[in-house]
Amino acid sequence: MKIELKKFGTTLISRQNGREAFAAFQPQLTTLGENENLELDFDGVITFAPSWGDEFLSPLLKLYGPRLTLTNTGNPSVKATLELLEKINQESFKRNQ
Amino acid sequence: MCYYSIIMTEKELITISEAAEILSVSIDTLRRWDKSSKLRPVKTSGAGYRLYSRSQIELFLNDLLNLADDWVHENSKLSPEFYCSNSAVFQTRLARMQDLLAEVKELSLIFPLIVAVAGEIGNNSFDHNLGNWPDTPGVFFGYDIHKKYIVLADRGLGILATLKRVKPELDSDQKALEVAFTEILSGRAPESRGNGLKFVRKIVAENPVGLLFQTGDAKLILTKDSNELDIQKSSKSFRGCLALITF
Repeated sequence: MKIELKKFGTTLISRQNGREAFAAFQPQLTTLGENENLELDFDGVITFAPSWGDEFLSPLLKLYGPRLTLTNTGNPSVKATLELLEKINQESFKRNQ
Repeated sequence: MCYYSIIMTEKELITISEAAEILSVSIDTLRRWDKSSKLRPVKTSGAGYRLYSRSQIELFLNDLLNLADDWVHENSKLSPEFYCSNSAVFQTRLARMQDLLAEVKELSLIFPLIVAVAGEIGNNSFDHNLGNWPDTPGVFFGYDIHKKYIVLADRGLGILATLKRVKPELDSDQKALEVAFTEILSGRAPESRGNGLKFVRKIVAENPVGLLFQTGDAKLILTKDSNELDIQKSSKSFRGCLALITF
């Protein structure tokens, strides 16, 4: 399953917005197959900050581990945020460029 | 200065009430600023009324740090232009700033980082003070793209009070500021928030971005390649947070 994060907005900041996005995403997530990978595409995202990321990505990393892959992570705010989230969660994200 | 005074015509002089209106502050605030030399009138009329020059007031209005500083210390009246009463207003204005920064050629590589830093600092104010604002809720958010700076401030509880919830042993604003900018608090009970200021530190250390951050009586200055935190005790204490981001 591929999810385009820009559909949640191009300025992804604040815990509140991250939580809301995660809640809105739940119905879609129930259709993910047992062995299916979940791909999050950052294409089109302009600003990505740790507050939003921690509410949205951290729970997905805990739930799906290596089945979660991230693409188009070249934006500097995406890069910096992912590095911090990896430190907080003490686990690495799988990236596909 | 003298030359400027001589060529200034009466037409350019404005009264204290006109100056107060332009700055969105009270006349009493302007009188106080005069006494403290923060903003002095250019002359006093024969009848003893304070007179200001319009350009002086416009210049002062553009000094956002002055306005934010006065708000956090004195709870002075704030222009709606800079006041975000809730996080939705802040997000909207931040997105607007993002659009403006995106148009600046020399910032094309780092503007998302500047927006993310401002976003983390501003959202921290809302996240840590929701339901607990001591008086005026919300944040001061002002920026000048040409002068390349952003000012954020709040009249919230401050870093020490909010961090004490998870680290009761903290006993000074300096120590609290150090923890906020250095320690990663994962799974921070009873609330899963924090870590935004560590992100801010990382961005500033690796990019041409500067930060002045004040809370309580502690002041932190961060610049590119600054590995050690320069935390000082400031002369005047206040309760919330005040940040100046330069780029």
